[in-house]
Amino acid sequence: MTRYIIRRAIQSFFLVWLSTIIAFTIYQAAPGGPLQFLDDDPKSTAADAGRLQRLYGLDRPILVQYVVWLAGEDWTPATPQWRSGRCLADETSCGRGILRLDFGRSFYFKGRSTIEVIAERIPATFILGFSSLIISVIGGVPLGVYAALNRGKLPDHIIRVATVLVNTVPHWWLGLLLLIILGGYLGLVPLSGMETVGDGSLLDRLHHLVLPATVAAIGGWISFSRILRFEMLEVLNQDYVRTARAKGLSERVVIFRHVLRNAIMPFVTGLNGIFLLILSGSVLFETVFSWPGMGRLFITAVNARDYPVMMALFVIGSFLGVLGLLMVDILYGFVDPRVKYDITQ
Amino acid sequence: MAETTLPLTRQRQKSRADELKELTYWQAVWLKLRRDKITLAAMLLGLFMIVITLTAPWIAANLLGFSPTDTNLRMRNKPPTWAKEAWPEFQQFATSCQSASCDWSLWPQIFSHSAAGIRTCLQAGPGECHWFGTDDAGRDVLTRGLYGGRISLRIGGMVAAVTMTLGVTLGLISGYYAATWVDDIINAIILTLSSIPLLFLLIILAGTFPIFRTPEGLSFMLGIFGWMGVARLLRGQIFSIREREYIIASRAIGASIWRIMFRHIMPNVSSIIIVVAIFDIASAIIAEAGLSFLGVGIGPPLPSWGNMMTGSLGSFTKAPWLVLTPGLFIFLTTLSIYLVGDGLRDALDPWIKE
Repeated sequence: MTRYIIRRAIQSFFLVWLSTIIAFTIYQAAPGGPLQFLDDDPKSTAADAGRLQRLYGLDRPILVQYVVWLAGEDWTPATPQWRSGRCLADETSCGRGILRLDFGRSFYFKGRSTIEVIAERIPATFILGFSSLIISVIGGVPLGVYAALNRGKLPDHIIRVATVLVNTVPHWWLGLLLLIILGGYLGLVPLSGMETVGDGSLLDRLHHLVLPATVAAIGGWISFSRILRFEMLEVLNQDYVRTARAKGLSERVVIFRHVLRNAIMPFVTGLNGIFLLILSGSVLFETVFSWPGMGRLFITAVNARDYPVMMALFVIGSFLGVLGLLMVDILYGFVDPRVKYDITQ
Repeated sequence: MAETTLPLTRQRQKSRADELKELTYWQAVWLKLRRDKITLAAMLLGLFMIVITLTAPWIAANLLGFSPTDTNLRMRNKPPTWAKEAWPEFQQFATSCQSASCDWSLWPQIFSHSAAGIRTCLQAGPGECHWFGTDDAGRDVLTRGLYGGRISLRIGGMVAAVTMTLGVTLGLISGYYAATWVDDIINAIILTLSSIPLLFLLIILAGTFPIFRTPEGLSFMLGIFGWMGVARLLRGQIFSIREREYIIASRAIGASIWRIMFRHIMPNVSSIIIVVAIFDIASAIIAEAGLSFLGVGIGPPLPSWGNMMTGSLGSFTKAPWLVLTPGLFIFLTTLSIYLVGDGLRDALDPWIKE
């Protein structure tokens, strides 16, 4: 068990490291380089470009730039080869590296540090993500159980047809449609944002949350109900269920104590990609609902060519994704004692 | 020696199972498919979508009378021509819903006005009727939808081709060489790609490199990052086929690895491959719509079902047709794809009991 955890931890470390390489490579390979926005400005001259390159340290060797981006430049020798112009001029403005959570300054949000810009968006994304997760579990689990218990009957068919129909359109489009109908025409939900300006009460926030969270939950809802239906059917055929029935237990006890408890186990593995799902979902749903979270920040950053924010969000996203996978893998061993962490597996 | 006939050969009633046994594989598949009315209807729908998008230039020129790129600033965000009178009435109804209780008495008026509008529209010549309204630059939404389908369907097909090529090859290899270093490498790639936020990566790539915003570039990118599911599925299948007798026999007579892979293993998983490829087209269309909607997919002069909705964010309550029309196109296309895929999954296993 310990060996398995250590192995997975090392693996996870490499994955995050790889994501930093990917982010840095894209940043370096970007056409026109990070200072491309200078081309759009008719007043900028070649001298300006050179000055800015020195200021940001873009004239240093690529490997140095990568190491400095990772670990910071405050510990390096005070030469132009190692330090950017800004750092040489002023000790306090030296980059401290992403390992110490310093992702540099944002290009677009003038004068603010990247991590600050991102940090204030994290709560919004997690509020939306976790409330949609809760809604999809509350909606999906009973639906799956119900479909399994009525297999081949009308409710099962209706659920199957409904899930197919919902999956044929992008879920964010459904959100847009519901927003038009419920928000625009019926005025039941607000059209955008997280709260009414000047009114931050809990009720107001819930009012803003309800449609985005429900729409973001659709995907999870469907997949959870499908996984659970499959697992329930699998377990219902087991000998111990027949035994439980044979010894005269009530159907409710059989279903909840014996079937559901075993069927829910593989369901936990379905949760391992949950951080990734929340992050990916955030991009589209936050755009549709004008939700001030990381996803929308990401789109803003991409459109504005704000490389520090883009790279930071990608690395943080990878870290969260890998962490989610690792946590569920380990958790699974505690929840289900039958799982053996076999090295050869 | 007296010849004796065998009186025992009874004229047997042919059962359906026997009938199936006499058919070749594809005949059996067709027999099963022919009785599946839903799948046939879905195929017709899919064919219809393909035909109307392929003939979009002809339809646009001769039936609709609009070009997908001609802007007309006097016609910005106009409702469908047939709803010229009905639309303000509908908005009035919506306002009444917000203030007090819905004013249902408006509906007969809305219906009669729309019916009259549709009648005049049907009689009008090309270039007089915007069936699905106009967008924020005064372009005809239906024409753009038809042209957008050319891009979206093309991307769907190309993405499926790339994912299938990569996924099938890597899946075959990793299944055949399961538990060796080759398999380990492929698994490591799959693990890596499935633990980083791929949507973020796709958006960064498309936002940074303009080449990924062309239909070919976008398809290539979506394909490169979308083959893992296929490979994983195939690996599992092949892992179990690999140990069957006929594979061992083939190996024993000295068949080459490639021959075993492509002549003996591949036909056994071909039905899975076909079905997955069909579903892949649908998910590629949905993915393209998402990326283009965010503004990092197909660029503005070319219409695609995703980027038609991009401009709608500010004005969708005033002009819901901007959202509805592309969504409807996506819905019809993916619905037909899903149903055909589902039907084929059953049909390609013709000997399974009904």
